[in-house]
Amino acid sequence: MGFITGILYDSVYHAIPILLCVLGGIFAYKANVLNIALEGMMLAGAFVSVLVSFKTENVMLGYIAAVVTCLAIGLIFAFFGVSCKGNVIVIGLAVNMSIVAIAGFVLQLMNSANIKLGFTNAADFKIHIPIIKNIPILGGIISGHTIITYITFVSIVLVWILMYRTKFGIYVRVVGENEDSAKSLGLNTNKYRYLAILLGSFFCALAGINLALERMTIFTNSMTAGRGFIAIAAIYCGRGDPLSCTFYALIFGLARALSVNLSLYAGAAAAVFDVIPYVVMSIVLTVVSVIKYRNSRVRGM
Amino acid sequence: MKKRASVLVMALVLLSALIFTGCGKSDETSKEKKSNDLRVAVVCSDSGQNDNGYNQSACDGIKEVAEDIGCEYKIIEPANGVPEALETLADDGYNLIFSLEYDFDALIKGVGGTEAIAAQYPDTTFVVFNDDPNKDEDGNVLHDNVISVLFDVHEASYLAGYLSVQINENMEQLFDDSYGLTPLDTARGIGFIGGTNSNGILVYSYGFIEGINKAAEEYNVTYDYYAKYDAGFTDSALGSTVAETFYDEGANVVFADAGVVGDGITAKAKEVGKIAIQTDANLDTQQPGHVLTSVLKITGVPVKTITQAYADGKLDEMDQLQNYNLASGATGITDLEEMGKHVQNQDVWEEIKSKLQTVSDQITDEEIKVTNKQNNEEFDAAKCPNVNIKTK
Repeated sequence: MGFITGILYDSVYHAIPILLCVLGGIFAYKANVLNIALEGMMLAGAFVSVLVSFKTENVMLGYIAAVVTCLAIGLIFAFFGVSCKGNVIVIGLAVNMSIVAIAGFVLQLMNSANIKLGFTNAADFKIHIPIIKNIPILGGIISGHTIITYITFVSIVLVWILMYRTKFGIYVRVVGENEDSAKSLGLNTNKYRYLAILLGSFFCALAGINLALERMTIFTNSMTAGRGFIAIAAIYCGRGDPLSCTFYALIFGLARALSVNLSLYAGAAAAVFDVIPYVVMSIVLTVVSVIKYRNSRVRGM
Repeated sequence: MKKRASVLVMALVLLSALIFTGCGKSDETSKEKKSNDLRVAVVCSDSGQNDNGYNQSACDGIKEVAEDIGCEYKIIEPANGVPEALETLADDGYNLIFSLEYDFDALIKGVGGTEAIAAQYPDTTFVVFNDDPNKDEDGNVLHDNVISVLFDVHEASYLAGYLSVQINENMEQLFDDSYGLTPLDTARGIGFIGGTNSNGILVYSYGFIEGINKAAEEYNVTYDYYAKYDAGFTDSALGSTVAETFYDEGANVVFADAGVVGDGITAKAKEVGKIAIQTDANLDTQQPGHVLTSVLKITGVPVKTITQAYADGKLDEMDQLQNYNLASGATGITDLEEMGKHVQNQDVWEEIKSKLQTVSDQITDEEIKVTNKQNNEEFDAAKCPNVNIKTK
């Protein structure tokens, strides 16, 4: 694999879990629910997918179980956050902490530091697209990813359509922007909040599966390593727009890939690339909030 | 009625809170046995007593020796930090406490204006691992009741490096087509991935390099050495991609010294059909056929030795800084049994093993001197002409 190709391939690799969380998180963002449980849900997806595949030796069951589990966690989150009107930050924190604890507990019971699948190989999950894989450079970047990677790129378009071209998307946004007027129109606001959160859980499950089951066929605790929070930052930078949020998620992927690949040549100095996306995001977030503040002051709000 | 229900709920919540906080502190095992005044305790590090290695070895060691001499022991996974656990244990009258965590400040120096724990409990003996924090700037011992244990992992890493080159040079005899090793005429490369850029990690890398150099000299070849020292200890996916870049560059063996990040590295080794080396515990079966060996820290050995000495009343005769080398059995590499099941030509394999034994004996006899970064010995790359270090 050529050097440039390697970097771009790895960018996709690192961007996908973040991108999936972003796609899931923007609906909750638009519905005005701050879902900080993305991290925990992704870890749950990773954990359950590998655990179930390990126990049943059936990868398909792993996929399904992870999605079901994450939806269940999403339901719990939505029940406390929406129906009971609890503080979503606290609930999200609870989800994040309890998933790590539960996974740690199960690993303890299994007397192991990881769960690994002996019967399958991460190489088997890679899809080599005929024809495209033979194209120089492009083939090396596009081909050889896992199924969820391709689903993700299709999802960007689908999420965009869902957000801007369907009734559902409009209602979710209305609920987020002005709950009172949504209610006055007779909308069941809670229903749309629930659905927004559950969509998030679904995508987080995919993110977890991609990270653990598909890419490595192994689970280690806390392996999400802050990706869910990076996704939240990306959502805020892109202000919930699927395309701009995607852009920020890809920046993270690219930076990570650069830091990994350049460490061959630059040594520890390559770690500086890990810093860049945070600097970019801090600047963007500052600019975004300054503009927002100015606008609201002009309008006298 | 409603009020009563809410009171009940409150009471339940409080009760469960009590139970849970209780749990936090009570995940500890104790065994009552009289007959002896000695009471020993092991305070585990973050990874917990079931980590199959570093902690577990100490826990097994303490159980064994406590049964032997009939004393009471306790194993603790601290829920509220190591310093509190140490204080509680010392308060409870434990005389010998092993602390496996890399957290020495409260014990030696005291934090937040309090007196150092070691000074607060002068009758308790504390044993710390992996570092020698018990000295002031001039190198004078601070507390008489603290013992520092160091493992000579540089010697074991040397063996791992030597072995890596040996199997790489003999790959055609040893490995079948199911492996995806880079042939010798394309590249000769070996990688190292560490969790953090510190002496505790570098000591492995430098020993490893010197071992590679020794074998490379024998074959009169040169190896490229790729290293990343800041892979962290949690993100196994990161470890996996870093390993991939090394493997792509033509490295056939990657040494992982980064906790669970290493699990991602061995997973990648399996995926691309190459070889990895693990650390701390015997993890050879983690990805059978793709983990060459593991560089071991067998904490059980010093735990047993020191506890036995205490029981025999010979603790005062022991050094306060103890180095456990290859000969002590507290460090070394695995017996290579697992890898032996996957190699093809057993004759070549046995030959390599006997060469390895020779080198091991030479280290024990001090014919070969390996740089020990733990003791702040400087590594001189010029002494390893057959290793081309790509990353500093």
